[in-house]
Amino acid sequence: MEMDVFHLLLDGIFTAFQPLNLGLLIFGCLVGLFVGAMPGLGSVNGVAILIPITFIVPPTAAIIFLAAVYYGAMYGGAISSVMLGIPGASTAVATVFDGRPLAVKGEAMTALTAAAVGSFVGGTVSVVLFTLFAPPLAEVALRFNAPETFALMVMAFATFVGLGGDDIPKTIFSILIGLVLSTIGLDLITGKPRLIFFGLPGFLHGINFLVLAIGIYGIGEMLWTLEETKGKVQMSKLSVNMAEMFKALRALKKTFMAMNIGSFLGFFVGILPAAGATPASLMAYGITKQLSKNSQDFGQGVPAGVVAPECANNSASTGSMLPMLTLGIPGSPTTAILLGGMILWGLTPGPLLFTQEPEFVWGLIGSLYIANFFTLILNIALIPAFLMVLRIPFAILAPVIFVLCVTGGYAPTQSIHDVWLMLLFGFFGYILRKLDYPVAPAVLSIVLGPLAENALRQSLILSDGSMGIFFDFSLKPIAAVIMYIAIVLILMPAFGPIYRKIFKKTS
Amino acid sequence: MSITNKLTVKRAEIIIAVFLALCSAALMYKSAQNRITWNTEDNMGAGFLPFYLSLGMLICTVLTIIKFILKKSPQSKDDSPFIDAEAFKYVFVTAGSLIVLVFAIGFLGIYFSLVFFLAFYLRYFSDKSKLFISIFSIITPVLTFLFFEWLLKIPLPQGISEPLFYPVYDFMY
Repeated sequence: MEMDVFHLLLDGIFTAFQPLNLGLLIFGCLVGLFVGAMPGLGSVNGVAILIPITFIVPPTAAIIFLAAVYYGAMYGGAISSVMLGIPGASTAVATVFDGRPLAVKGEAMTALTAAAVGSFVGGTVSVVLFTLFAPPLAEVALRFNAPETFALMVMAFATFVGLGGDDIPKTIFSILIGLVLSTIGLDLITGKPRLIFFGLPGFLHGINFLVLAIGIYGIGEMLWTLEETKGKVQMSKLSVNMAEMFKALRALKKTFMAMNIGSFLGFFVGILPAAGATPASLMAYGITKQLSKNSQDFGQGVPAGVVAPECANNSASTGSMLPMLTLGIPGSPTTAILLGGMILWGLTPGPLLFTQEPEFVWGLIGSLYIANFFTLILNIALIPAFLMVLRIPFAILAPVIFVLCVTGGYAPTQSIHDVWLMLLFGFFGYILRKLDYPVAPAVLSIVLGPLAENALRQSLILSDGSMGIFFDFSLKPIAAVIMYIAIVLILMPAFGPIYRKIFKKTS
Repeated sequence: MSITNKLTVKRAEIIIAVFLALCSAALMYKSAQNRITWNTEDNMGAGFLPFYLSLGMLICTVLTIIKFILKKSPQSKDDSPFIDAEAFKYVFVTAGSLIVLVFAIGFLGIYFSLVFFLAFYLRYFSDKSKLFISIFSIITPVLTFLFFEWLLKIPLPQGISEPLFYPVYDFMY
């Protein structure tokens, strides 16, 4: 078995080294670094906006490119966190806590090196964990039928309720609106049109997930960033030379614990659909701070405070691909969009990919090893270039992103109707986000909605219409276990106040 | 008092919650135009899922409204402006220019609309010279054309400007 994995991995690495794939991988790393470094843009925005342009290449090359963008963005986020004090993406929020104070003290190079090395370590550990966990998990998942698949999807939604940490009614609203949007168009079973508003024929083909994703993460996010920054940012001074870099590398000797916490915690938090890289990096920072002998120095500018979140966000990004590839359930908003992309490219996400499309799966895994290495080199070598890029006024960058959004919203279906919808989703996404409605669950559910509906209907045909199929241990034990876990997750927020009350009384 | 001061977070929260409740009810009504029942003989009606999902949305928005009335949500106690005046200018002008852009695409076609959009946006928000703005506003649509029409072979809408592109197509193909 181990030899099999080793051979498959080698094949995957060879696939990633094919000229087209390698070229796209390096280009993806560069784009990702850029996307991550720009305030207001993160992996999810980059992947959402760029998916329409991947139709030109085969699926393996497309996923390698987008995974490299995802990966590079995790590295790049740290650059603006350190230099501008504004996280390039939410995944790099925790990097600001110590990265910015280091830059203010004149040690920006230490912070940037710590971030790059931390990202590399987190990325490497997580890719190894991914290689070890993915094949056995896919093998188990191969035995899943419609009831297990539906139960898994319910669990994915439930994690947002139980672990998302947002307002519960607003979170459930976000999940439900995504699901309702996914039902628009022709019902595949009865052939009847559903929710065709004002008789507009544009609704007959349904709402492509990209329309919502680009609307929310392209238009909505840009409006949010314009409001937050108003185009004004203050950059720290940086001296780039080898001596500074070696000094920075020596400072990393004391960050071994932070690297371990960030890498392992990040991977496992990343697997959870509601979690992903942002909470992973915040948790890694918090735990490293608590366990550190010098916890009082955190927040004043210590390299461990940069290493822990940067290890975690890279590790989580790889972790979130594990359920995407093996179960067909995305572990983060970015992987939700990648999963939607796979459907657009004509693939069926889930464990069958491992047997039917080994080149795709192992090419992606192989590319992660290589992307990790290239991104480290590019990141450090191109620091001066990225600093120039960060000086581009937002007033110039923003309209370019809008151009990409409008063309990206039009390209998949070639319908101006979808561009209008994208604008509408963007404006609403912006307003709802300002009122603390989480938007990621809506994107996840518009991607999973059609798959979940199919799985539900197939299950009900199997059970002659009885919902018992999801809860009966004697019929479908795995589905029942997953369903009960989902119920516990949904009920978890209700237990919080009760637990606190009991704890208060006893203490 | 300006509109940005009048619209507090508190007001926005309740306005949006009521609006979403109405939208949810409208979705339920629309879903009910198909069969919304579910029985063992002929499985689910086409309207079953959207109807009950919209009902769930309605319940969530009602809960948000109840939390607002009981002052249990942070937004229900927040009297700060929903958006400050300077940010409002950025967001309003951007949103407005995007709406005009999409309208113009249907008429003028995407490439010429982009030229006007970019020129307006850069002139309004950036301090770049007229020469820079002119070059930037022309080069970006040209690159967009080459990328989509030449590389991806995806035709973008050209509206009344379509005949102007015939010689370019003759040259390309």
